[in-house]
Amino acid sequence: MKTDACRHWKEDLGAYALGHLADEERAALEAHLEGCAACRAEADSLFAVSRLLPHADPERFGPAPQPPAELGKRIAATIGSERRSRRRQRRLRFGLGFGGAAAATAMAILAIFVLSSGSEGSPEQHVAFRSLPSGVKIAATLEPQAFGTEIHMYVNGISSGTLCRVYMRGPGGENVSAGTFRYRWGADDSAVLSAALDLSRAEALVVHAGKRTFVAPLSNTEAALRNQSQQEEST
Amino acid sequence: MPPGALTDERDVREAYSAHASELYGFAVRSLGDSGLAEEAVQETFLRAWRAGERFDPQIGSLRTWLFAILRNVVIDLGRARAVRPTVSDEGIEASVEPFDEALLSWQIEEAMRRIGEQHRRVLVETYYRGRPYAEVADELGVPEGTVKSRVYYGLRALRVVLEEMGYED
Repeated sequence: MKTDACRHWKEDLGAYALGHLADEERAALEAHLEGCAACRAEADSLFAVSRLLPHADPERFGPAPQPPAELGKRIAATIGSERRSRRRQRRLRFGLGFGGAAAATAMAILAIFVLSSGSEGSPEQHVAFRSLPSGVKIAATLEPQAFGTEIHMYVNGISSGTLCRVYMRGPGGENVSAGTFRYRWGADDSAVLSAALDLSRAEALVVHAGKRTFVAPLSNTEAALRNQSQQEEST
Repeated sequence: MPPGALTDERDVREAYSAHASELYGFAVRSLGDSGLAEEAVQETFLRAWRAGERFDPQIGSLRTWLFAILRNVVIDLGRARAVRPTVSDEGIEASVEPFDEALLSWQIEEAMRRIGEQHRRVLVETYYRGRPYAEVADELGVPEGTVKSRVYYGLRALRVVLEEMGYED
């Protein structure tokens, strides 16, 4: 390769790739390219770049907008809280393990008592639905918040795509909506919901899954204690 | 789990500091709205973290992976915003295609930002504005040959930057 000789030609290659060379210059350059593989290869790679140029908008070559500083913190905070709730869920699943066999009593709309709560003295409450159809697991963790109650629902074993509506039952027996979610096989099986009802005033957690309704009375309320003693009497 | 998988919150922070500004810049360009762009970038990193165990640096770069996630996020956002939900395959294709075109445009514009000002300037003047080399040379106070050679080195620089950015074609 005659590097020095090619230097002159090479500097024409840019204008050539952009189609900017006058006829004679182009003819002379193409004559050189015939006999110079190195310059031909360089020309090809410049053509590959020049073909991309029409896709860009020269009005947009100025500085790109930058993400706001708090975006990174917000993402870190969301990931942190999701990690915490995963950990909680793992505890929950572990807690559910022994319930499976007993759950063979297959009728719905049965309540249930509460796997209580606050093992580390935290104000959160673990709720396990019992007497579920075989293979079905529903559980929740409730956390008191300033706005009301945060509900982490864990569902397993119902048909994929089932729409679940979640309510918290207030002291007057009224249902306060906590929102809906769809259960998907294979997808993350938990949903985070919230209800505008103080946890301390809630009597029960109600889940409509498809056509079925599951109710779990909550502990730490008078109503729950009443329910629980009724259940003890009936067994 | 492949080595280099994205499992730690620290990994996500590092990925964020390396790629967030690019992802955001592109999201703004393609969504045309900085609020939506923030939402898209946030969702991208959340999904990346949730799927972090599946990230394998042997298969492709982190940047490529994040852009692939952002692509899905933008499509989902587009669906959510669509007046009529797209059901047919055609409808879905139509919402993907502008994304790929926008990504291509954005990559070239980003590469243009990264090359030197002198190189960018001659490419803008001669190529995008179609001005004669002699006129541009006059304006810059340099010989015409210099404009030519800057065009050449500008294109080369562009090629190098695109390669660094992981542009594949």
